Amino acid sequence: MRVRFWGVRGSLPVPGASTERYGGNTSCVEITSAAGTRIIIDGGTGIRRLGKELMRAEFESGKGQAHILISHTHWDHIQGLPFFAPFYREGNRLFVYARQRDDQNLRSVFASQADAPFFPVSFDSTRASVAFRELHDGVKFEIEDMLVSTTRLNHPHIATAYAVAADGARVAYIADTAPFSDILFGQEFLSGPSSSRSHLSRTDKAKLKAMAQAVVRLCEGADLVIYDTMYTADEYRQFPHFGHSRPSDAITVCGEAGAKTLALFHHAPDRSDAEVDAMLAGARGHAGPLCKHLEIVAAFEGLDFTLGKV
Amino acid sequence: MEVTFWGVRGSIPSPGPATVRYGGNTSCVSVRLDDGEIIMIDCGTGARNFGISLLAGVFGKGSGSATVLLSHAHWDHIQGFPFFGPFYVPGNRFTIVGGSRSSELLERVLERQMAAQFFPVQSYRNMGAQLEMRAVSEDREVRVGAAKITAHPNPHGPTQVLAYRIEADGQTLVYASDVGYHKSGPSQETVDIYHGADLLIHDCTFTPEDHAQRIARGLSSLDDAVDAAVKAQVKRLALFHYDQDYSDHDVDELVRRGRRQLDERGARHITILGAAEGLTLTL
Repeated sequence: MRVRFWGVRGSLPVPGASTERYGGNTSCVEITSAAGTRIIIDGGTGIRRLGKELMRAEFESGKGQAHILISHTHWDHIQGLPFFAPFYREGNRLFVYARQRDDQNLRSVFASQADAPFFPVSFDSTRASVAFRELHDGVKFEIEDMLVSTTRLNHPHIATAYAVAADGARVAYIADTAPFSDILFGQEFLSGPSSSRSHLSRTDKAKLKAMAQAVVRLCEGADLVIYDTMYTADEYRQFPHFGHSRPSDAITVCGEAGAKTLALFHHAPDRSDAEVDAMLAGARGHAGPLCKHLEIVAAFEGLDFTLGKV
Repeated sequence: MEVTFWGVRGSIPSPGPATVRYGGNTSCVSVRLDDGEIIMIDCGTGARNFGISLLAGVFGKGSGSATVLLSHAHWDHIQGFPFFGPFYVPGNRFTIVGGSRSSELLERVLERQMAAQFFPVQSYRNMGAQLEMRAVSEDREVRVGAAKITAHPNPHGPTQVLAYRIEADGQTLVYASDVGYHKSGPSQETVDIYHGADLLIHDCTFTPEDHAQRIARGLSSLDDAVDAAVKAQVKRLALFHYDQDYSDHDVDELVRRGRRQLDERGARHITILGAAEGLTLTL
């Protein structure tokens, strides 16, 4: 199994000299099995370059097939999709997966991104065959030779975590999520950090505990865990209501799950390369005494892992 | 009048080593008039950095006011809107000017970007600052302090885009992005709007060769930008809104070719430059 990072940033793309090394594109990760099955998690701006790369091979002649798993539909996870070239070639087959919602049909969410007055090419005019599949929390399913597991995350409007197993290896993608301790996120707008653990009802505390346990199960024995670690401890104190975690939260989950490698992911837009370096050093220092065998890296564009059988 | 480029890219932000010099952020230009009035033209991802710079001053204290001119609502011209810091400081006041049929429609367009499935803030009303929407379809002239601003509709593929002419401090700035002229070139009305500008910021998405393959996109080539500058007898031309795949080297080449074309057309007096993030021009 091969895992490749095409976009590692959160919130919005940040071009510029200070983000050159880790990269400024928003979230997109590609996972391919030894047999050639292709899963793409999230369609931030990083998916544009992946699309260009795919068009060098079978997608150019309309014979490509890929499965796109969407964690949630906040802009930084879907804004690259209209620029994903394989959509515009007849014959390509693309499958888009995301959490089922009561209020909106998945296809219409994506179609509205390409509507006038926002984008010149309507979703109906994409030439590839595109099928949507709506997922229930916790569902497991097979995509060819790959087994996909899901669980709900703690994020405004709710996000889905994915684990993909194939070739004797397992990778988990946990983004976007807040820690499972202070706020239980749902549909409502939170204007400030006012909601704290002391305000949580017993039921909410129980829900968060169950959510955390399910995330640990999803990461159990994973060769690689990709985790939303957008915030430093200080930033988290200021913005707990935006729904993102700290490296220490990811380390706790990885420790309990016995994961082998943690990739810090979804870097804040104003985090310079030097600051990501510092965050990585801090995370390694924090993890050292807690989980000796956990290796930690900070995800960057172009980072590539080969896991299990190839 | 001081003009600063915060985002010069078209379609989608293009981070990476190949775009570091000109910049990979999408369209955003700021104008500071001599009397301190602030105008932001378009709200691509470049708006985020402009917002950060404003927060160091009165906008950080909630006593700033500014006007935002939107050329149209394609993503690369509004996607920085949710990330413009001064919008989140209560007390700041903004007038958002755009080319919708009504102010309510303009509001609805911007509101759709903020909706819960796309962005956690859910509504621009949750941002904090006071935002007033103002459509300019009927009312093509806008006054901002001492500045006279004229909005002019240009063709952009099957739709329209507004060009803005800003006259203040004895200087004229024209912003004309995302324009795809008909075969005959810019109309007389368009040339009149650009006429004599001290600085024309003009769409230059494509080389003439790439443009020929993508006419339907309704965007300009280098030829279109040079032609408009010569016909309107402007003093300075800034190329703008580069294709997302153009490297710094490619843009250098566009500027060099533009210089040669101007010379060949006997317009040696027109200065040409490639708009770059962080560049400030004082007119």
